[in-house]
Amino acid sequence: MNDAANRDHDVNDTDGLPPDRRRLERWFPRDPTTVGDDPDYRFTLANERTFLAWVRTALALSAGGLLALTVLDDVRGEEVLGIGLLIISFLTAATAYRRWALNERAMRLNTPLPPSRLPLLMAIGVAVLALVAAVIAALN
Amino acid sequence: MRPDQVFDPMLQHERTALAWERTAIATMVAGTLLARRAADLHVVFAAMGVVQVVLGAALLIWTGLRYEQLHAPLRRGESPVHPRAVQFIGITTIAFCGVAMLVAIATTVA
Repeated sequence: MNDAANRDHDVNDTDGLPPDRRRLERWFPRDPTTVGDDPDYRFTLANERTFLAWVRTALALSAGGLLALTVLDDVRGEEVLGIGLLIISFLTAATAYRRWALNERAMRLNTPLPPSRLPLLMAIGVAVLALVAAVIAALN
Repeated sequence: MRPDQVFDPMLQHERTALAWERTAIATMVAGTLLARRAADLHVVFAAMGVVQVVLGAALLIWTGLRYEQLHAPLRRGESPVHPRAVQFIGITTIAFCGVAMLVAIATTVA
């Protein structure tokens, strides 16, 4: 139905905005409920749950990072693990609302959901930190 | 008034309420850990952890109330979307994770 250019336009409808405002809206899109029609309520709730799952992931990574720094205080290299977890946690938190808004917008306009590299990046990030943890465990 | 039967066999709204509650609990756990870690740094950062715990508790209560209130609108076919709540949680989580990251860097460097 929609070609790629059209879809891009739908997702990032920021034409005519001043540049600083446009930059803000790339990360914090406007309230998506002002466009399109209400989708099936089950889709809205599923999107809400997905958003909450990302928020919990961010909080769990945060908790893990803080715990690593507090509990492993006398272990060499714990800073790398703790701060690494907290950086990933911040990046996850930073993208959660954006994902929710873009998904909600796509559902309301009846367009395909925007693709996301976040699950892949999350898997890679956690795998790298698991390796860091293994190295720390081996060295101590 | 309480519904006398389940109107959604997949219990979507109940699952969503539980997801909100799990998020609220995770918020309180993370807030506690930040308060503990930040106590060595400065009382202001520790207070942010405590604020996060209070926020989580408030969210837990709000979720319970909203779950009860959602039945009637969903039966009428209205959308349960709540952008304000999503924006609020999205932004407070960014703030929390940002503060936790900065506290961790500050306490490690110091």
